[in-house]
Amino acid sequence: MARSMLIVSRQSPWSGPGAREALDIALAGGAYDLPIGLLFLDDGVLQLAPGQHGATLQQKDLTANLKALSLFGVDKLYACARSLADRGLANTALAPAVEILDAQGLAELINRYDQVITL
Amino acid sequence: MNERLIVGEHPVALDKEGYLVDLDDWSEAVALQLATAEGIELEADHWEIIGLLRAFYSEFQLSPATRPLVKYVARELGPEKGNSQHLNRLFNGTPAKLAAKLAGLPKPSNCL
Amino acid sequence: MLSHSPFSDGRLASCLRLLAAGDALLLTGDAVYALAADTVQRQALELMPDSVALFALEEDLQARALVSLPARLTAVDYSGFVDLCTRYARVNSWL
Repeated sequence: MARSMLIVSRQSPWSGPGAREALDIALAGGAYDLPIGLLFLDDGVLQLAPGQHGATLQQKDLTANLKALSLFGVDKLYACARSLADRGLANTALAPAVEILDAQGLAELINRYDQVITL
Repeated sequence: MNERLIVGEHPVALDKEGYLVDLDDWSEAVALQLATAEGIELEADHWEIIGLLRAFYSEFQLSPATRPLVKYVARELGPEKGNSQHLNRLFNGTPAKLAAKLAGLPKPSNCL
Repeated sequence: MLSHSPFSDGRLASCLRLLAAGDALLLTGDAVYALAADTVQRQALELMPDSVALFALEEDLQARALVSLPARLTAVDYSGFVDLCTRYARVNSWL
């Protein structure tokens, strides 16, 4: 049984390579059928805000890539409730859909995975 | 060393692995010529997959690795075509890389 | 495991929120600056529950001349570092 990995993505989609790197790890792991979870924490939840346009900044559209996760076998997506609330996203429809976790839920989530990496 | 393809009168730039440098250069004529270079004669079954790959890219902005490609094809065309046997047969055993090339997409980055 | 300066980003604050009973926090590199006296970061570390253990890499402390460290801190060398990695079920590296 392959070891499961939780990837914690906590960078905004526009601040540098962190968000892209976290996503690439998830896609690569998913393509190899590893059990992958992806948690959006801190500024990482900004990746889930709808209606973003990467082309305006001459960047590839990370939000479009995120929607491919389920085809790569990564459908365990989570976001931190507090991070969302702090950034005004508590009542926003997120894309792709994620399971929203409170502090207790986050602790349980992390304990369910064999490996955790935070970018 | 980078190559060029001449399609009609237009030079089309390729990277050193034979993928299009500019995705906007793609046309069916370009696909035909790339396929000939790979020893493949494009038929309806090929075009169907090439069309799907271009749709995949325009939706997700990335080239799929084999597993997601199979899943996507199965979702769109059903399991008779969305399986690795069918795709391997069409694209010489490396469907993710070769079909992406013929569809004018970048090389799939999660395909080692 | 943290290795970035606690003064220039939110990793420490965010990590502190995720720590649960039985976890340990290992500071390496510039993250050991969180132990500097008279800082809110130091206070936050002192206020962690007793069920969370606190470690720092000794050579990073020495290089940065960090002294008068909190009593709850255990300084470790590299073999202690490896030991910690094997003692805990998983390591979360904050890259």
